[in-house]
Amino acid sequence: MRNSPFTGPAGLGAFRRELRDWLDEHDLSPAGDDGGLDGQVGQLARVRRALWAAGWMRYGWPAEVGGLGGPSALRAVLGEEVAARDLAEPGIWSMVEVLVPTLIDYAPPALAAELVPRLLGGEEQWCQGFSEPGSGSDLASLSTRAVPSADGEGWRVSGQKVWTSLAQYAARCVLLARTGSPGHAGISAFLVDMDSPGITVRPLRTMHGVDEFAEVFLDDVHVPAPRLLGAPGDGWRLAMDLLPHERSTCFWHRIAHLYSRLDRLLADGCEADPDALGAAWLDLHTIRCRSAATQARLAGGGRLGPETSVDKILLAGAEQRLFDTARDLLPGTVELSPHAGWRTGYLYSRAATIYGGTAEIQRNIVARRLLDLGKE
Amino acid sequence: MDPAERTLLADALRKTLVSGAGLADLGWPDMLAEEPETVVPLLFRLLGETGRHTPALNDVLLHAAGLPLTGTPALPFGGARLVWLRDGSSYDSPLDPELPLRHARGDEPSVPLAAGRRALGWWLLGTGHAMLALARRHVLDREQFGRPLASFQALRHRLAETYVALEGAEAALTAATDDTGSLLAKAAAGRAALTAARHCQQALGGIGFTAEHELHRHVRRALVLDALLGSARELTREAGVLLVREGRTPRLVDL
Ligand SMILES: Cc1cc2nc3c(=O)[nH]c(=O)nc-3n(C[C@H](O)[C@H](O)[C@H](O)COP(=O)(O)OP(=O)(O)OC[C@H]3O[C@@H](n4cnc5c(N)ncnc54)[C@H](O)[C@@H]3O)c2cc1C
Repeated sequence: MRNSPFTGPAGLGAFRRELRDWLDEHDLSPAGDDGGLDGQVGQLARVRRALWAAGWMRYGWPAEVGGLGGPSALRAVLGEEVAARDLAEPGIWSMVEVLVPTLIDYAPPALAAELVPRLLGGEEQWCQGFSEPGSGSDLASLSTRAVPSADGEGWRVSGQKVWTSLAQYAARCVLLARTGSPGHAGISAFLVDMDSPGITVRPLRTMHGVDEFAEVFLDDVHVPAPRLLGAPGDGWRLAMDLLPHERSTCFWHRIAHLYSRLDRLLADGCEADPDALGAAWLDLHTIRCRSAATQARLAGGGRLGPETSVDKILLAGAEQRLFDTARDLLPGTVELSPHAGWRTGYLYSRAATIYGGTAEIQRNIVARRLLDLGKE
Repeated sequence: MDPAERTLLADALRKTLVSGAGLADLGWPDMLAEEPETVVPLLFRLLGETGRHTPALNDVLLHAAGLPLTGTPALPFGGARLVWLRDGSSYDSPLDPELPLRHARGDEPSVPLAAGRRALGWWLLGTGHAMLALARRHVLDREQFGRPLASFQALRHRLAETYVALEGAEAALTAATDDTGSLLAKAAAGRAALTAARHCQQALGGIGFTAEHELHRHVRRALVLDALLGSARELTREAGVLLVREGRTPRLVDL
């Protein structure tokens, strides 16, 4: 394994080539076609461990958290190759892209240095506890509370989270809780150990049969003081800073995954309807172009903001069109096939306009922030 | 060209177009020869934004074909072949009567279309933005039920939808280099302009249906430019035919 970061204009290409060679030599494909979540999470950990040991998983991350440096686009390329080979489910693969930058930016450096390598190296899963039963789109209304503990050694947290992806597998959770007044300014963020006394996780059944999310109950849970991320009241800013991460490298992985689904559709002998197939490709191509431009901006030192709502809307639309097209052109497959692939993908695509900020919330942001239409 | 030079050029182009003077005064043939990747997007987007027109599409196609910048190549339009006249007064485009389009005689050269598709894509993008700007102004200015139209979510979402489509098209146009990329980019731009036409027309209500309001001119232009050198529908189908033939989806852009 070479140790120099793949920097400079030729870096990405060289990285991709060497990575492909390595993946050709080291077969990390899943053993069986186990659509279940246990299998997916196990496979994810296996792939991560191998890529971490060989160094690939370290590129694009800073040395402080065990990384080998280089541009973040290296991570996008790694995710693309992983998605193209179906080595890991892209949704759960991408979670590190959101959580690690957040930890680097907000956690005390010693904490990030200690824990982030466990996540990157596949030893642990983490989750993101934002949504609550009473606070979905209106996240700033959340009511889980954190109060300073009597001994002054930390915080006591009580409340409930919902739709927390991978909570049942997670060792830690990036959690939002209210430490102050109502509204944005009263929210703080914590890194909570999921084995803390007082935490109960109850998995939820999902529509697509891969039970990826859970309810998390917190009953007077002790959180040590160094687990506060940023300062009290920084929670909203952390949540907003996280979105651009979700919408750069993560999106590139998802787009790569969707291209591989379109290839699969062609390979599965779908009805050769050029109008429908062309439209599915056009949508994918459009978001791929947009996402490449977004990442170029990020690489050039730009800050990402509300304009990433455009990326989110384009991606969700492309994903739903692709699976609608698959259902149309492989008649009966989603409904009847003994193989779950198209069924699961189709059903999961229905959530693309819900998670990560709903389609309506994205349009609200575009109208308010990008078109400057004033208040509703 | 650095950003400051681009701004200068954009200003000069805008002034020239609005004044109705010819591009020749600006040294158009030299600019096209030297920096087509810069000047073509600038000029054609401005044509859309200002609602003006020039026969520069001919030059773009001829330049890309390596031919001298004279005459008028044949332009596929649905099942027909048209030409964009450099002068003359009797035209064959009743939907947008300003455009000097005529049926081809048959002896005009056929040229590769990719560069022309990109140019028309930029034009459609500008036309879409012109419509969005008109609709945005209107919903901010007009009140109904005692509040600005802009406060109604149904309209906000239509305009957001328009903006997203235009942004997607711009990304595809910016990334377009080869034939397939140009085909997809024009399809995206045509689709975005038609989306803009639909939503902006709705937001403008009755006033947008009058001849005195500018909107209809942009709507007409969008329809004609979409159909020229392949409509969004035709190009999307062509892309689909290519997919079926290849059996694998080309990845046209990379990081
Ligand atoms: C598969 C999946 C995984 C998820 N993973 C996580 C996770 O790991 N961690 C986490 O914290 N959360 C997660 N979520 C939760 C997700 O963030 C929320 O579902 C989402 O924010 C919407 O909240 P809600 O479900 O309460 O719906 P609501 O906010 O109640 O929305 C219901 C409907 O009302 C519309 N609506 C709401 N407000 C407005 C408005 N102002 N204008 C117009 N329309 C509006 C919405 O668009 C939607 O159509 C996940 C969700 C899914 C589906």
